[in-house]
Amino acid sequence: MRIILTLLRKDFANFFRDRAAVSLTFLVPVALIYIFGQVFGLNRKDTGPTGVRLAVVNQSDNPAAQKLVDALKAEKSFRVLTNRVNPDKSERPLREEDLRPMIRNREFRFALVIPADVIASKGIGLHLKILSDPRNEIETQTVNGLLQKAIFSNVPQLLGQSLQAGAKKYLGGERLEQFNGAVAAAVTKAFGGDLDETKQALASGDFGLGAVADAATPGAAATPTDFFSRIVKIESEQVVGKDVKSPEATRVVGGWAMMFLLFALSASAAAFFDEKKAGLFQRLLSAPVRRSHILWSRFLYGVLLGLVQLTALFFAGRLLYGIDVLGNFGSLLVICTAAAAACTAFGMLLASIAPTAAAANGLATFLVLTMSATGGAWFPVSFMPEFMQTIARFTLVYWSMEGFSQVLWAGQSFLQILPTVGILLGIAAGVMAVAVWRFNRGPLFD
Amino acid sequence: MLKLDHITKRYGALTALDDVSLNIAPGEFFGLLGPNGAGKTTLMSLVAGLRAPEAGGITLDGKPVTAADPSTRVSLGLVPQSIALYEDLSAEQNLRIFGELYGLRGADLRQRIDEALTAVQLADRRRDQVKTFSGGMQRRLNLVAALLHRPKLLLCDEPTVGIDPQSRNAIFDFLEARVRDGLTVIYSTHYMEEATRLCSRIGVIDHGKIHALGTLEELLARLPFQEEISFPASPLTAGLAARLAAHGEVTTGGDQHRFHPAPGFKNSAFYALTEELELSSRLFISERPTLEAVFLHLTGRSLRE
Repeated sequence: MRIILTLLRKDFANFFRDRAAVSLTFLVPVALIYIFGQVFGLNRKDTGPTGVRLAVVNQSDNPAAQKLVDALKAEKSFRVLTNRVNPDKSERPLREEDLRPMIRNREFRFALVIPADVIASKGIGLHLKILSDPRNEIETQTVNGLLQKAIFSNVPQLLGQSLQAGAKKYLGGERLEQFNGAVAAAVTKAFGGDLDETKQALASGDFGLGAVADAATPGAAATPTDFFSRIVKIESEQVVGKDVKSPEATRVVGGWAMMFLLFALSASAAAFFDEKKAGLFQRLLSAPVRRSHILWSRFLYGVLLGLVQLTALFFAGRLLYGIDVLGNFGSLLVICTAAAAACTAFGMLLASIAPTAAAANGLATFLVLTMSATGGAWFPVSFMPEFMQTIARFTLVYWSMEGFSQVLWAGQSFLQILPTVGILLGIAAGVMAVAVWRFNRGPLFD
Repeated sequence: MLKLDHITKRYGALTALDDVSLNIAPGEFFGLLGPNGAGKTTLMSLVAGLRAPEAGGITLDGKPVTAADPSTRVSLGLVPQSIALYEDLSAEQNLRIFGELYGLRGADLRQRIDEALTAVQLADRRRDQVKTFSGGMQRRLNLVAALLHRPKLLLCDEPTVGIDPQSRNAIFDFLEARVRDGLTVIYSTHYMEEATRLCSRIGVIDHGKIHALGTLEELLARLPFQEEISFPASPLTAGLAARLAAHGEVTTGGDQHRFHPAPGFKNSAFYALTEELELSSRLFISERPTLEAVFLHLTGRSLRE
């Protein structure tokens, strides 16, 4: 027993001497738990998406349609856009013909059109149109659900108007007014209230059906919502990704690829320390070799390795799940190269700031998991709190996934992906600049 | 060939080299003898251009050696203290990489690789991964990797650490042959046996200072004694002590006589005397001066401290 206790004491002594091991065991998990909690919105009252850009075109002059728009604006899940900013900074209301190009241009992914004939001219019913780019399945399902809820909550008044319009067509205006007057008199006699207000409410289509809709429980069988859904015609149009062969796999492959790439490149960065330990830097630098030669050769190695790895992963996706990687292969290679450059720069930065290989590995694990989570590799960014969404836009995972989605999901051209490529290369250049600065002043080559 | 002029190098508060000056002539086998932490590796790294001194200058064939300018580095080769090889690659691949870094290409490079591998008896293992080699084989490859481009000056930073005597001797033979061919070598070690065997001139370094510089004989001459033969003080040896006094200094302390021969006195004369007096050789203990003693004398501490 004494021997076991001695060896046990040795293990603890070794462990507490290794600061990297202590951080990995205690600090890193706590930090990750906090970050993941923020990403997944733990302890938030509302766990749905926030700030999803939703374009709304209201072609109807019906006050109830405007009420629907206002209701959507009040919904914190959406950031409603009704105007378009012209190149000269002036604004004008969005038109339906603006929506599809703007969705394709990734200015927003969801749009609602309230047509002029929102109230059906034939029979009783309503007509609405939703346009979408469903590149994230979870987000799309949730946003559609929220939109339908908002519509159904505001439908009853429009539906009442539809009934009034239908009745007017068959009864004529004078007889309908008499009918409304008789119903209002009966209602006020039975339930009280002001006769004129009740008559006005009936004429505007407000039959108090909103209370019925509010009582509807989503998902329950045979609810009033079913009734509304039968008479409210929502026309859905998928603007982007209609022809994608394997939509589910295409949506997720980018996130997976990025995570594996980051891990691989972090490992190759840690190899710096092996070379230092072996004295190879001494040997190289005693030859006509500069530090910059070592750094840039390692950077190119990382980029090429990453490019090959990403290409292999996408081809595996093609073989296993039928993802179309050949349709836009040139652009895919470009975005893979930019993503690999950004990831490599990240790996180089790790090597330049970490004092040891163990610290580099620990830091890499922490940052890879953090960036994957915040960048949207696991979970739609729109479901995160707004400040996390802002942080996401500073991660290379976010922009790499944007690029993969542009190429594989939206089939965008080389010119269209250039801004994303530029951002990734900008990240690579910025991070490499810091890494080179650190390499030239840090102890790695000593 | 190589000139170090009042070099000072500090790491924070630690002065690793303190006003070191040194001239190395072409074809010299110069030994840098000192314990761990004496400043040997720092001196090597400054000469190799890996670091810059805080004060002083280094020139190689009249050209300044600086960390920023790699042009002088084609004239020197560095054998680092560690096995600085890519252990997953083969011996041949390692040599090809290091050769190409010096601009060697094609048939010339292939020929030099063949010669190098043959010279260190690794030709038959040329395609094996370095990590499968013994420590001695790795050390030999580590050495020739620094010579492929045929430098004028070879910096060997404790190149025999942790290897068997056979491999050590093979390395010594190899280096001695290269020096005979005109190579200049700076060889750092804390083994006095290595410095004694190999070096035409030795610098004794400790705490960043060169304490003494010279040939082995010149360094040994700095000791207050050259050789000491001690034997018991007894009536049996009294005659010998009296006779030896004519050939050097005899002192008596406790129950021992100590004889320090005068310059030119040969040991054969001593043994002739003992035979004449019919004294057993088991009575005598002979101590020759060593570099260890020189180091102790100069620095007040042992090489192994």
